Amino acid sequence: MEWLSKNILKLRWPVIIIVTGLTLFFGYRAGKLTINSDLISSLPDDDPVAEMYKNIGKEFGGNDMGMVALETKNVFTTEVLQHVKQITDTLLVTPGILTVTSMTNIIDIRSEEWGIEISKLIDEYDLPDTPEELRKLRERVYSKEMYKGAIVSDDGTTTLIIYTTLDDADKQQTVITVKKKVKAMNLPEKLYFAGLPMMMNDVTGLIVSDLSKLIPLAFIVIAIVLFFSFRSVKGVVLPLLTASIAVIWTMGLMQVTGYEITMISNNIPIILFAVGSAYAIHVINRVNMCTEKDEKQKLVKALAYIIVPVFLAAATTMTGFISFVFGAYLKMIKDFGIFTAVGTFFSLLLSVTFVPALIRTFSLKKSSVTPVKDSMKNFITRNILKPVLIILNKHPRNILVVWISLIVLATGGFFLIKRSVNMQNYFRKDNPTRVAEDVMQRKFGGSQPVFVVFEGDMQSPYVLDLMNRTEQYMKKFPEISYTQSIADLIKQMNDVMGEGEKIPESKAKIQDLWFLLDGQDIMPQLVSDDLKKGIIQSRFKSYDSKKMKDFVSYMNKFISSNSNDKCKISLTGLPSVYVRMDRSLFNSQMSSLAIALVVVLIIVGLILHSFRLGVFATIPIISTISILFGFMGYAGIPLDVATVLVASVALGIGIDYSIHVITHFNHIHHNTGNISRAIEETILTSGKAIFINVLSVAAGFLVLLFSQMAPLQNFGLLVAISMIGSGLGALTLLPVVLLLQKQSLKPENKNSF
Amino acid sequence: MKALISILIFLTTTLVATAQNANDILKKMDEVLYAPKDMTAKTKIIITDKNGNEKTREAVMKQKGTDMRLFRFTAPASQAGIATLSLPNDVMYLYLPSYAKERRISSSVKSQKFAGTDFSYDDMEAKSYEDKYTAKLLKTEGDVYVLEMKPRSPKSQYSKLISKINKENYYPVYTEYYDKGNNKIKIATYVFEKIGNYWNPKEVTMTDLKKKHKTTMITYDVKYDTGLSDEDFSVRKLKQ
Repeated sequence: MEWLSKNILKLRWPVIIIVTGLTLFFGYRAGKLTINSDLISSLPDDDPVAEMYKNIGKEFGGNDMGMVALETKNVFTTEVLQHVKQITDTLLVTPGILTVTSMTNIIDIRSEEWGIEISKLIDEYDLPDTPEELRKLRERVYSKEMYKGAIVSDDGTTTLIIYTTLDDADKQQTVITVKKKVKAMNLPEKLYFAGLPMMMNDVTGLIVSDLSKLIPLAFIVIAIVLFFSFRSVKGVVLPLLTASIAVIWTMGLMQVTGYEITMISNNIPIILFAVGSAYAIHVINRVNMCTEKDEKQKLVKALAYIIVPVFLAAATTMTGFISFVFGAYLKMIKDFGIFTAVGTFFSLLLSVTFVPALIRTFSLKKSSVTPVKDSMKNFITRNILKPVLIILNKHPRNILVVWISLIVLATGGFFLIKRSVNMQNYFRKDNPTRVAEDVMQRKFGGSQPVFVVFEGDMQSPYVLDLMNRTEQYMKKFPEISYTQSIADLIKQMNDVMGEGEKIPESKAKIQDLWFLLDGQDIMPQLVSDDLKKGIIQSRFKSYDSKKMKDFVSYMNKFISSNSNDKCKISLTGLPSVYVRMDRSLFNSQMSSLAIALVVVLIIVGLILHSFRLGVFATIPIISTISILFGFMGYAGIPLDVATVLVASVALGIGIDYSIHVITHFNHIHHNTGNISRAIEETILTSGKAIFINVLSVAAGFLVLLFSQMAPLQNFGLLVAISMIGSGLGALTLLPVVLLLQKQSLKPENKNSF
Repeated sequence: MKALISILIFLTTTLVATAQNANDILKKMDEVLYAPKDMTAKTKIIITDKNGNEKTREAVMKQKGTDMRLFRFTAPASQAGIATLSLPNDVMYLYLPSYAKERRISSSVKSQKFAGTDFSYDDMEAKSYEDKYTAKLLKTEGDVYVLEMKPRSPKSQYSKLISKINKENYYPVYTEYYDKGNNKIKIATYVFEKIGNYWNPKEVTMTDLKKKHKTTMITYDVKYDTGLSDEDFSVRKLKQ
């Protein structure tokens, strides 16, 4: 190690130059990092349901649909229709928009005695303006399923202007333009903007706002914590510099390797600030502790001592992050795991190379440390560590009792933990996209797409009839109120031809009717070009996981008894995907935690040369995680795509405190053979370091409370709580365990307490 | 000497061009396009989607004057026998053979597409250009006049058309269609050939720029002035 340390210092100039060069390069590339707010692209390729959902969305364009909802007292007034027309006409000529459907341009096909009347529902050049005309319009709208609940809400207060975007259009730019143009009209009605492209645009906005607000905030918060802990320029600048460089490298590397920022990975910088600054702190701390006169000797010695412990601390933390790669359902979580681990590695690397190189080159001596630092440490010792020590000595069993009761209490909370996979929860309640989605849910039966896919001859009466029956069956489920398919259109056309609203019995008739439908804008949204695949488009009202699960099994019952060689039926859509995600959430939590636990146990066992001690070391963090889950249950914080990450992250970081305590305890116990002295020294010395570390990491994570996205807020809060818990556990529970275990091994020592 | 001649030719053509009133050009175009009393032809419609997949339809077409037209599809087999009959005053009849009955269709929606092609009913309408548009001569270039045509009806889906019209023979060679936001949305190109005394639009291609979708209509086996009667455009004939 000394050889390595010497070489690192010898190569200080190359290290500084390389780090500067890489930082410039990655900084430049990081600036080009793009944001991916497309939730659907994060669905796994190896899950058939998710895969089908992605493909169907692409093939039939359902994912590119946007909606402007206009809410007022009564939409059946000339003024409101005028406004709908104004929006419709504007959207029709907006670049990037393919089709627009609204009350003022939707086609109305009627069967009259003399024949077929094809007209618009409303003559846009002569809007209905008498009470009689408006009453007739209302009647017409409510008489047809095509309009009622689809384009005008059942209560007549809200109407939709639905648009689809072009394949090659910049969808986000398009929705921004739509929003801007419509808002500029200053219409008196309430306007909402919904649909996936709008939601994606909103997520992008949230990510950008989070990044630009939270990174400086994390920087400041950690700077403050470092300042109060060290009271030295070096103690503030070096850890922050290391963390910043690690962030830049990580983000740059993401761009170079073709990754994008997602709604999960946007918290990588915050996490790296919180986690990454710690390693530099360790190095600086160690340097400060060495008493050698010669600066170079001092650095070599400090570095030689600290490389291994810092490496191990980083290794366990990285394990926590890497564990997501194996368990996660969403690709964005795997990416998050990879890059936080890589960033942690960068922090480690910089702490043991760049930091000493800087110290050596610029002679950053300890001189700037003021006596205030000691008073701060004294404060910690006097008010926190000493009382802890007293309790430890006097009532070790009580501590055990308190922890055990907390854990028992927490177990009750396990069963209360809810799971939430609904992306809507990503938005705060007052977020415009969430408000818009709520309106869609209340007025139009939600905007969560459901697709039933039929593979067969789309012109055969058998297949169309089956589609028709499927729709009837679907609508019996309370959360489904709207369905649309080619079968509906064929039924309507058959009616128009005077043979009633039903599927014709011969294929020839269907083919004839097809002639009339061919080339209509709606067709590519319902049937594939080769006529071998068709879909029922529907929407699911509720965001309740249980109802989604019920719906999927309700549908599967129908599918399994009706799907056959002539027509294969399958179900996909957001409820189906959510059900898969929900199931995987629990599995992913368990597998990532198990992986993290096993690897951490191995690492800790190796560090401590004892598997038994390894198990002891995990006791505080496992207890903390148990209490954490209980807390989530009681506090109603759901397990979701972000909070599922907490346990493994907490395990990876929190284990370090136990390692410190055990190493220190063993060292002193080994040297002196005195348990109580070992405990006292461990608590008073390691306790300070642990306290400061808990403070800075927790503060860093708490910055996420200011995130725009609720799951990230919860994530930050929960990790911070776990840090405090595992720190406390290492300082109270762990010593008690060590104490009791040593006592049981050597009963004669009992009297020394 | 050669130079002098070309200057002379240039001058005369320019003079002629400026002397041309844009609406006269439109009128002449109408005269060329609607010159035959009647016409019988076969039509092949090739529809190409954005992926390059082609669908072909064939039909027999009969036309009399500017406002009577009968289309009877002959291929593909699934659509053979389907027929449409357009009569004056926007009256249209549709015949679906499997239903063995005709239905009168009244459509006020001209922007609807004709039979899955990129031509709207508006584009297909056999109505004279002069009745539908007012024209302005933008420029002359090479052998064409470039006209800007604005629809007379506010209900048109277009804000304007920019057309290139052959100077010598007054048939269109190229047209751009603009939506009401002044975005170019469609382009038509024409190939004309002379059959007897008339100019026949041998090949017309309409490209939908938004959908990257195009339709080519090829007209062949053209017979002019065979003396079609109004009876040939009756509902009874439609059903045959």
